[in-house]
Amino acid sequence: MFQSIDISHYIYLSTVIFSIGLFGVLFRRNAIILLMCIELMLNAVNLLFTALSTYMGDADGQIFVFFIMVVAAAEAAVGLAILVMVYRNTRKTDVSFLDKLKG
Amino acid sequence: MISLYIIFITAVMVLFLGLNKKEVGFNKLSGFILIVTSALSVAAAKGWIKTAELESWAPSNMIYFGYAENMMVALLSLITAIVLLVFAETEIVGTDRVGLILLSLCGAIMMIAYQHMVMLFLGLEVLSIPLFVLAGSDKERLASNEAALKYFLMGAFSTAVFLLGVAFTYGATGSMELASMGIKASFHHALEGMPVPALLNAGLVLMSVGLLFKISAAPFHFWSPDVYEGSPNRVMAFMSTIVKVAAFYAFAKLLSNFEGIRKSWETWFIALSMITILWGNLAALKQNNIKRMMAYSSIAHAGYLMMFLLLPGEKLQQYYILVVYMISYAFSSIGLLSLAHVLNKNGSEDLNFSVLNGLSKKNPLLMIIMVIFVLSIAGIPITAGFAGKFYLFSSAWYTSPVLVLVGLLGSAISIGYYFKFIKGAIADDSENSNDFKIGTVLTIVLSICALVLVGVGVFGLETLTFLIG
Repeated sequence: MFQSIDISHYIYLSTVIFSIGLFGVLFRRNAIILLMCIELMLNAVNLLFTALSTYMGDADGQIFVFFIMVVAAAEAAVGLAILVMVYRNTRKTDVSFLDKLKG
Repeated sequence: MISLYIIFITAVMVLFLGLNKKEVGFNKLSGFILIVTSALSVAAAKGWIKTAELESWAPSNMIYFGYAENMMVALLSLITAIVLLVFAETEIVGTDRVGLILLSLCGAIMMIAYQHMVMLFLGLEVLSIPLFVLAGSDKERLASNEAALKYFLMGAFSTAVFLLGVAFTYGATGSMELASMGIKASFHHALEGMPVPALLNAGLVLMSVGLLFKISAAPFHFWSPDVYEGSPNRVMAFMSTIVKVAAFYAFAKLLSNFEGIRKSWETWFIALSMITILWGNLAALKQNNIKRMMAYSSIAHAGYLMMFLLLPGEKLQQYYILVVYMISYAFSSIGLLSLAHVLNKNGSEDLNFSVLNGLSKKNPLLMIIMVIFVLSIAGIPITAGFAGKFYLFSSAWYTSPVLVLVGLLGSAISIGYYFKFIKGAIADDSENSNDFKIGTVLTIVLSICALVLVGVGVFGLETLTFLIG
């Protein structure tokens, strides 16, 4: 049943999800939304890895997904910590304050 | 391999033993341990000590330490040791930051020795995540906060792009092991004589974009001047050198496995290299802040180093070009930064050239050392900088003569802004009440660095014989 779905559909789907995340990162201004968009990009990659791994009968891809999940968790922890630090100093979570350094 | 274990154990020990303590001792101790691991790596490369037992703990299709890898690890440890030692007496902050620097170094070592994309990805992240924290370690300063958030967003974004590239390449070649990935990629191409399959092409482009972000090549460099300027000085010295060494070596390793489809990426890399050299040098010309100028200069150096990625055939056998170049670039840029940092007595993080005013009269020894650094980073003969640029340009000549000409033009432009250091030091400023006294450790380390730079410049051939082995 599931095998009848062609692999190209998975590739298109994950590319679309990845692009949604990408445009979110480029155009949204709220830092928490940006974090969510980055998670979305990583999860699109996870989906693609799982699909390819099943398609090719190779376990490497699925193992990789676990590593990506662990690292994404670590990254989110550090990112939120940085965000809390920023919030303490500026009382904002908007990335528009990122304009002090110029030249 | 032995260095990786020692550095990791030291990092964890420093992180927990020195929690919330402000001691200079940990800085110096870690610096000396790193010098020892650097020596151990050279010994392991030359076969003076046997590490086969340790190597067998990790599967060799995941991570592998050959001759070149061990030498690169020695270089990385040495650069980090210098960063820790030159800032040891002035950056008296919590020692947990030393632990984070060492953990970041572990990631760099994993990136150097990877044989499988999982290891490259983990290395990249273990290198970056401590750096996000370190960039923002000046918690009260708004510029540091901004640098941390910017670096984090760019780092996470580029990692996601890189990962999509890995997934596409995995789909196109059916493997994530470096060797078999490359063989299948070239096979596709050679057999059918057709254009490279779309999936492989997209994968290669996305992986390259992810890594180009890390090495801050134009047009993916826009984050780096802001991040470097906002970070504390020691962190900037660390990340403008270690990240570049590790990412360039990993990138070269990746690309040398795609030599079979070289035609599809060669032109792009030549063009990007030219843009990076010109953009970095021209933007550096109008900077008056030392940190911002060094950031643009690091972009320009990334442009020159992209010639290393374009070497034909087995790039990694010519790793000595990267070592000689990085010795010159890293030693002089860390030296100049630490000098400006220590002479800047008013405590602000903004470094202007006026902090150097009067140096030539009040401390001639320091002036000589600084002149050697400036000559080396600008690539003037009888210094290591000239040797590095000479090897790099002469090997790139066969790939693209135009690129070499652009490189020479860039070097000529760069003299214009590097000599601001000398101009600043000669300028007499009676208002500068600085006595130009600096700590003993700093003086010793900087003198050794300057001697090494001149030594490599004069005895270039002997250095090469030692590196090639």
